[in-house]
Amino acid sequence: MKLTRTKTFKTFAGPAWTNNPINVQMLGICSALAVTIQLNTALVMTLAMTFVITMASLIVSVMRKIIPGNIRIIVELAVIASLVVLTDEFLRAYYYEMSRMLSIFVGLIITNCIILGRTEGFAMSNTPHLAVMDGLGNAAGYGSVLLSVAFIRELFGSGKIFGYDVIPQSFYDAGYENMGIMLLAPAAFIIIGLMAWLQKYLAGVEDEG
Amino acid sequence: MSDMAKSIVFAVLMCAVLGVLLTGAATALQPLQQKNVENDRRKNILLAVDMVSRDQRYTHEEISALYEEKIERFGATQTGEIVSGDRIDADPVLPIYLYIENDEINAYIVPIDTPGVWGEISGYLAIDADGSTVRGFTITRHSETPGLGGEIERQWFQENFEGKRIVDRQGTFVSVRVARGDVERQVDEEDRPHYVDGISGATLTGQKLTEGLEQILYRYEPVSIRFRDNRAELPDDR
Repeated sequence: MKLTRTKTFKTFAGPAWTNNPINVQMLGICSALAVTIQLNTALVMTLAMTFVITMASLIVSVMRKIIPGNIRIIVELAVIASLVVLTDEFLRAYYYEMSRMLSIFVGLIITNCIILGRTEGFAMSNTPHLAVMDGLGNAAGYGSVLLSVAFIRELFGSGKIFGYDVIPQSFYDAGYENMGIMLLAPAAFIIIGLMAWLQKYLAGVEDEG
Repeated sequence: MSDMAKSIVFAVLMCAVLGVLLTGAATALQPLQQKNVENDRRKNILLAVDMVSRDQRYTHEEISALYEEKIERFGATQTGEIVSGDRIDADPVLPIYLYIENDEINAYIVPIDTPGVWGEISGYLAIDADGSTVRGFTITRHSETPGLGGEIERQWFQENFEGKRIVDRQGTFVSVRVARGDVERQVDEEDRPHYVDGISGATLTGQKLTEGLEQILYRYEPVSIRFRDNRAELPDDR
C-alpha cells in the first residue's frame, strides 16, 4: 500500500490541504489576522497551536471512552484551557518578549474553534493514533496559512523577513515604499480571501451551495 | 452508579488533576517570570532615559549592570526635596528614579500609573535635569484594546514624547497632552511642544493618558520646580 493511500496519511493531509481549517472552513480567522504582521509571532503562534491541538486531541482521544457524554464539551474545554495556560506560562518564563508581543492571543487559543471542533468532532470518536495525526494535520493547515500570510505582510509591509531587511536600500532610493496597509488587519483579510480562492481552485474544492 | 454520579465524580477528579498540574507549573515558573518582569521594568527605565535602544537586544546581565551603575531610586517630598534611605517609604513621599552620571543628576524618572479605558496603564516618564523637557516615555503594562488603544505600546507613540515640554514659554506647568490625531493638523503652532500625536480609533485612551499624566506630573511639580531653578540636589546621605 502506498503511503499516500493509508488512513493515517489521509487523516493528516485532509485538514492540511483539501479541508484546510482557515482557507476552506474559514475558522481561526481572528488569530490569523492578529499575529501575522511578522513571521516571528506567526511562527510562535503556530508552534503553540500545534502543541495545544495535538495534545488536546491525544488526551481527549485516550479518555474518550470514560468521558461522560453529558459533560464532554466542558471536559474538552478544560483540557484545552489547561494546555493553553501551560503554554502561556512557559512563554512568559522563557520567551518573555515574545509573550508580550503575542499578548492576549496565546490565551485566545482557548476560543479557537479549530481546536474544540477537532476534539469534539474527531478525537472523541477516533483512536489516539488518528487523533494525533488529525491534530498535526490541522496545525499544519493552520500554520501554513499563518506563515504564508505573515510572509507576505512582513515582506511588503516592512520589507523584512524574520526581522531581517531583505529589500535593498537602492529600491527605497528609487522610490519604492513599504505598503502601510499590510500592517493593518484588513490586509490579512484580503490576503486570506485571495488564498482561499487560489486554494479552492488548486485543490478542486467545490462549494456545496 | 448513575450517569449523574459518574459525571460528578469525573468532573471532580478532572478539576483536581488539572488544578494540581496548573498550580505546579505556575509555582515552578514563577521565579523566572518575576525575573523577566523585573528585568523588563529596569529596561523600560533605561529606555526612558535613552540609555538603551529599542532596536537592540540586551541580556539580563547587561541591563542589570547598566541599571545598577546609573539608576537609583529616591523619594520626593511635598516640598520637592529628594530624600533617600528610610525616608523614601514615609507616606507623602513620592517615588522617583534618578539617572546619575558622574555624581550629577542627568535626568529624573517618574513612574506612571494611571487608569486607562480597560485597566491600569503603567510606565515611566523621564524628564531632563532642566525640569521641563521630556527625555522619553515608555509603557510597561496596559490592557487597552489591541489594535486601537493598545497601539500605545508602539515605538512611534512612545518616541512621540521625546523633546516635548511640560511647561509653556512663561514657565507655567501645562503637562503633555495626547492630541486627537496628528499634532500638525489639530494643534496651534505655539501649543505643539506640549502635544503628541494621538492614535486614530483610540480617543478615549488618549484622554485617559492625558488626564493621568497631568495629575501625576502635577504631584511632581515641587521637584520639577527645583530642577527648573537648578536647586535639585542629591541627598547627602546616599
